[in-house]
Amino acid sequence: MKKLTPYLLVSPYLLHFLVFVAFPVGFSVVLTFHDWNIISPMKWVGLANYGRVFRDREFWQAVWNTLRFLVVHIPLQIAIALFLAELLNRTIRGAAFFRAAFFLPVIVSGVVVTILWQQLYSFNSGLLNRGLVGLGLGRVGWLDDPDVAMYSIAVMATWKNVGLYVILFLVGLQSVPEQYYEAADLEGATTWQKFRYITLPIINPTLFTVVVLSTIGGFSLFIEPYIMTEGGPLNSTLSAVMYIYKQAFQYYHMGYSATLGFCFALIILLVVVVQRRYVEREI
Amino acid sequence: MANVQLNHIAKAYADGPRVIRDVTIDVKDREFLVLVGPSGCGKSTLLRMIAGLEDITDGDLLIDGKRMNDVPPKDRDIAMVFQNYALYPHMTVFENMAFGLTLRKMPKAEIKQRVEQAARILEIEPLLHRKPKDMSGGQRQRVAIGRAIVREPKVFLFDEPLSNLDAKLRGQTRIELQKLHRQLNATMIYVTHDQVEAMTLGDRIVVLRSGDVMQFDTPINLYNHPVNLFVAGFIGTPPMNFLPGTIRQDGSSLSFGSQGNTLTIDLINSVHYQRLQAYVGKGVVLGIRAEHLTDAPTSGDRPFFSSEQLPFEAIENMGNEALGYLTIEGVRVVARLTPDRAAGLSATDTVRLFWDVDKAHFFDAETEERIYGSVQ
Repeated sequence: MKKLTPYLLVSPYLLHFLVFVAFPVGFSVVLTFHDWNIISPMKWVGLANYGRVFRDREFWQAVWNTLRFLVVHIPLQIAIALFLAELLNRTIRGAAFFRAAFFLPVIVSGVVVTILWQQLYSFNSGLLNRGLVGLGLGRVGWLDDPDVAMYSIAVMATWKNVGLYVILFLVGLQSVPEQYYEAADLEGATTWQKFRYITLPIINPTLFTVVVLSTIGGFSLFIEPYIMTEGGPLNSTLSAVMYIYKQAFQYYHMGYSATLGFCFALIILLVVVVQRRYVEREI
Repeated sequence: MANVQLNHIAKAYADGPRVIRDVTIDVKDREFLVLVGPSGCGKSTLLRMIAGLEDITDGDLLIDGKRMNDVPPKDRDIAMVFQNYALYPHMTVFENMAFGLTLRKMPKAEIKQRVEQAARILEIEPLLHRKPKDMSGGQRQRVAIGRAIVREPKVFLFDEPLSNLDAKLRGQTRIELQKLHRQLNATMIYVTHDQVEAMTLGDRIVVLRSGDVMQFDTPINLYNHPVNLFVAGFIGTPPMNFLPGTIRQDGSSLSFGSQGNTLTIDLINSVHYQRLQAYVGKGVVLGIRAEHLTDAPTSGDRPFFSSEQLPFEAIENMGNEALGYLTIEGVRVVARLTPDRAAGLSATDTVRLFWDVDKAHFFDAETEERIYGSVQ
């Protein structure tokens, strides 16, 4: 009995892990070697699914789209989050209100936010284009121009998620002792120098966390294009996850979809490993 | 080098009360000045005002005769050593020390030379490429001092720099700070709550209490001529004994009687006789240090009062000195005993104490100001 107690205590987690993590992962590994449309029995196809990934131009277009999204989304998000966190870290009136306000979009349903922004971006009646027209400028196809649409989505996603990273940065900033800045004041450092040579290196672990979190979050881009553009125009906002979803639940290519999933996970891993080399984690 | 003048300096936070009321201090060029007082007395605030880290509410701060109230910290030509060192954790010792010079765009070769020279003075050359987390408290402390030295400032400020060190290291570092002061020939202002540090380091000491200067004098004068009960009790280890009582006159004789009449100390032949005339019938506090309250008279030519046999509460014998604790009328009193004799005593024994009356201090019980100090 004594030997069993610890296992009993961790069993709720273990059960959850087995059913919702281990089994699906294991099952999808099996799937990658099969052809399966849920209804008919699985058919062994060996490495055929993997071969198909390399020839699938739509998939690589989706990966490329996702990277285009990340290139705008991650730096924008980090810059804005860090800037806001710096502001909120000062003793300003109503700091608690602003903290809550910036965090609000994070907890609002992604669908709601997306629909709201769809209105904003609307070609004919959107607030943005009305503003531009009001200023005597032409309309922009925020979601209709294949060269613009993905970046519009990136800006929206940034607005939605930035609050979370503001909070993370704020925690990092608050762990920097005030005396570091006082010492720097005496040494003659400017505000920028204090930020560059003291704040930034010290909050580096937070920065790394934020980079990784927003990379992984960005790679899983789905709701926004799914609702706003359905991947269009001209597949320009088709994200990798969306494509994987389409393969699984529109075409019922379960085996191929699982294979895409694994390849995509590999790509994410690769990117994070590269990031890790460039962002020091330790102070 | 530089002198620092504080003229009627005051400090208040927002609309709050003044935490520094009216401080006037003149720090001479190359002086080692210590600001000492219990926590909350405003000593650190005062130092931070000199540094420029706190605004000055009222009064003038002059460095070398130039008004500094509105000059930013970096242009005051001062360096400060913080209590917890404030070393940047991501920089090596070298980078920490060089940081200020790099910001000032000093040529690399000169930075290197200055840092190495400071490291030599502080004997931290082998540490130059370490990071703060890989060093002991004492080593970090040196680096913090090193960072101040390389700037060659006019004035050094120290904010309780030894309080995070253990007792032994504190003792060593005190000596090295004295040495350093001589070597650098700079003006130094040093904040501490430890009166031993104050006494050993300071050329002069400012004793502060709740934002007011209690006394500003040399260590030896503070010790021998404290101006009030606070300074008398604050300076010296063990602290001065205080016995409340009254001055009595009987014909031409004058005496101090303790409140409960356990003690009547004749003052007729003492140096206190003249001044205490005015206090006949009034409440006073007699202050006497342990070394003037002994188990054997130390000098034959001064008036000694010897009390009845009194029981000990405890004896502390440290070999070089021995202290006996007794209670007189509810007041804890500490006397200095001859160590050899104390070795044969136990806490259950009694002792006859000898009071070196001329070395006693008298304070007005009401105002707590000194009435008459001891005279050499």
